[in-house]
Amino acid sequence: MSNFGGGGDRGERGERGGKRGKFSRFAAPRKLVEPEEPLDYKNVGYLSKFVTPNGKIQSRKRTGFNGQNQRMLAEAIKRARIIGLMPFVGRT
Amino acid sequence: MERNRTYECMCVLDNREVRKGWQPLKDAVTALFTKHGAQVLSARRWDERRLAYPINLQLRGTFLLTYFKADTQQVANIRRDMQFSDSVLRSLIVSCTEVPAEAYTPEAEFDVNAVQVEDIRTAAPAPAAVAEESAEAPAEAEEAPVAEEKS
Repeated sequence: MSNFGGGGDRGERGERGGKRGKFSRFAAPRKLVEPEEPLDYKNVGYLSKFVTPNGKIQSRKRTGFNGQNQRMLAEAIKRARIIGLMPFVGRT
Repeated sequence: MERNRTYECMCVLDNREVRKGWQPLKDAVTALFTKHGAQVLSARRWDERRLAYPINLQLRGTFLLTYFKADTQQVANIRRDMQFSDSVLRSLIVSCTEVPAEAYTPEAEFDVNAVQVEDIRTAAPAPAAVAEESAEAPAEAEEAPVAEEKS
């Protein structure tokens, strides 16, 4: 049986998933998350869940959103920053 | 070619101007839209809150949410007039598909004298800065560690 991973036995049963590791082609499909509230720039309480303490927008890997929702999230956060509802930089 | 669209405008108003009177200020801001042929559908106070960062040395602002219908060519002129206005600290105009029903509900009355004005020059230092200063002070009040009793 051919080994698709190309890495031999190395890391096949590691702590981070074994055969279904992060970079394996057999990785489990990512679970998509739907936003619980509208991604609007006025909804600051919800948007602030998706920024780091430094004020950076979290990645899709962390939010779990699909591409469309991630773009809407980023746009809403940027609008909230412009109008002074959210900080450009937080605690540094 | 004329093409009308519905827009949403959020303005941050200077609290010093708000304290002088809400209705005249609101009329002055809505006049910026009607001046360029826009039809104001709704204009109501959204909130009064502390800003995330100082704008024109102001730490607090009153938010006015306006829905209007305007020619697409006139939006740039409205935006420019907003920037020239002294009472408008910051504005954001975005297009919207429909006006939410809550925009037509009557505005809640509020006391303009209760509106706080916070200027960055006169504001008290932030709590974090105060904490840093107290940490730098010699820790005289610290109690000496109690010696453990040997049984």
